Amino acid sequence: MAKKNVSLSAEFLKGIWNENPILRSLLGLCPTLAVTNSAINGLAMGLATIFVLVSSSILISLFRKRIPHQVRIASYVVVIATFVTLADRYMAAYYPVISKALGPYVPLIVVNCIILGRQEAFSSKNGVGRSILDALGMGTGFIMVLLVLGSVREILGSASLFNFTILGDWFHPWMIMILPPGAFLTLGLLIGLANWYNEKRGIV
Amino acid sequence: MNTSVRMIIVLTVIAVLAGGILSTWDGITRPKIAQHRLEELKAAIAEVLPAYDYYDQVEAGETTFYIGRRNNVEAPVGIAFKAEGSGFQGKITMMVGLKPDFETLTGIKVLEQIETPGLGNKISVDPSNKENPYWFAEQFRGVQTAPEITVVKNRKPTKNTEIEAISGATISSRAVVRILNETIRKAKQLYLINRNRDGNRNG
Amino acid sequence: MKLMLLFLSAAIVNNFVLSYFLGICPFVGVSKRVSSALSMGLAVTFVMTISATVTWLIYNLILVPYNVEILEYVAFILVIASLVQLVEMFIRKVSKPLYDTMGIYLPLITTNCAILGLALFAVLREYSFIESLVFGIGAGVGFTLALVIMAGIREELELSPVPKHFQGAGITMIVAGSLALAFMGFAGLIAN
Repeated sequence: MAKKNVSLSAEFLKGIWNENPILRSLLGLCPTLAVTNSAINGLAMGLATIFVLVSSSILISLFRKRIPHQVRIASYVVVIATFVTLADRYMAAYYPVISKALGPYVPLIVVNCIILGRQEAFSSKNGVGRSILDALGMGTGFIMVLLVLGSVREILGSASLFNFTILGDWFHPWMIMILPPGAFLTLGLLIGLANWYNEKRGIV
Repeated sequence: MNTSVRMIIVLTVIAVLAGGILSTWDGITRPKIAQHRLEELKAAIAEVLPAYDYYDQVEAGETTFYIGRRNNVEAPVGIAFKAEGSGFQGKITMMVGLKPDFETLTGIKVLEQIETPGLGNKISVDPSNKENPYWFAEQFRGVQTAPEITVVKNRKPTKNTEIEAISGATISSRAVVRILNETIRKAKQLYLINRNRDGNRNG
Repeated sequence: MKLMLLFLSAAIVNNFVLSYFLGICPFVGVSKRVSSALSMGLAVTFVMTISATVTWLIYNLILVPYNVEILEYVAFILVIASLVQLVEMFIRKVSKPLYDTMGIYLPLITTNCAILGLALFAVLREYSFIESLVFGIGAGVGFTLALVIMAGIREELELSPVPKHFQGAGITMIVAGSLALAFMGFAGLIAN
């Protein structure tokens, strides 16, 4: 089972940069692009995704030996969809404004490839402890990119950050940044920057 | 144990557990979500109608009329209903409030829209107007609906059927007015037919 | 007329890929060749059309009458996964050439968020059965359109000197951004 001798901290840290789900593996792009028109939306989406990712990882790594190989994907999908429903209803009941802003992108966490991918690649082969660390690391890497994108787009597109105006009247907001093209352009530039930085550090 | 039996058992257990957890959660969250919806609806009605003590809800076809009334007064103070139609990018939904003769608007509130951020979405809130971000919707208060509401560009309205367009978002502004003109005409007919029918039954 | 507007809105004005960001994974993955993009697009349109109607039936004939809308997401994703399998088996039996063009893309479709997104949007907007069907076809056509245009541009890009760090995903996103900008020009098409 424990085929690798990876330290626990490395298990957590890999998701943040070296195996960052968005910048390195290009997974979970739909929510990344769709909800990052403001920092608060990115944060809420990131937290909901982390909740689903960590809870599913715990459950699946606990029962990994009891789930027959043939029905594993179906089982993962039901587990994930259940947690997504819990998160979605929780937000609708207690944070109706954010829930409305995110709209159908919360239920779309079900098909976020990061979550199913981590279950298949990690939780189904590792113990609970490591699976939690892996999920937290991947989740942190995900939410970081969401926050960066959301902040950049909100500052340039609405002259504010977390709804507080930070740029004065001299700044004319770049409307394009909060529109769909801005999402694609910002993510494209971010991926390019990440590649450049990685090459400088010698990671390919 | 045989694999296929195990497969069925595992899937059944997962499905039953998921169903159980979700139905419990449904019981907890459903009333809260319903309450939010009702509060939203009440707030929208209160915003578009003149002050009232209570409102009646009357269904007519696919439209629901919310009739604001005062205690011990027979005539209603105003009638509200939801209007929808297509805007620049997609559907616009509004709560519309009118005096009972359907001739004077008492207020409108945009409930849902996906107009262009920074331009067309100013129909619901315009952050660039620091004094009154809701100026667009508020200028409809008191506007006459007959013969029809019209849009003027780059100047203040002079007639009581005119409203001013948002600069840079003429199509969205026109769309709001078009939806109002169309739905108010239909709603008026629907409401009168319905009232006459009820009236006949009572008399 | 209303249905025509709905179709245009789903296919062009509010394109699934370029303005709702649904189905981005295949958009990045299968947009290197026009021919494979077209096959993927056809497969998605096919599955979308069927799943739009099936999920509508499940939601309105089972979930709503029994008051179990909370099972929406679980039910939808299971339906879509089984549907994709069924379609794959069916196509393999019926037509070998069709399977060769579309078949290999079918397993990828299960995790394509555009399919689930379609079902969710249809519920959210309270579409009727016919509207859901038209919405499904429109969204599929829009997806195919975006994918094929993208593939056409990427074929040209291979001959262009793209800065090293932007090769692959980076430039794909930036091109998608320009395309999204171009598609914004269609806004207003349905207004009058």
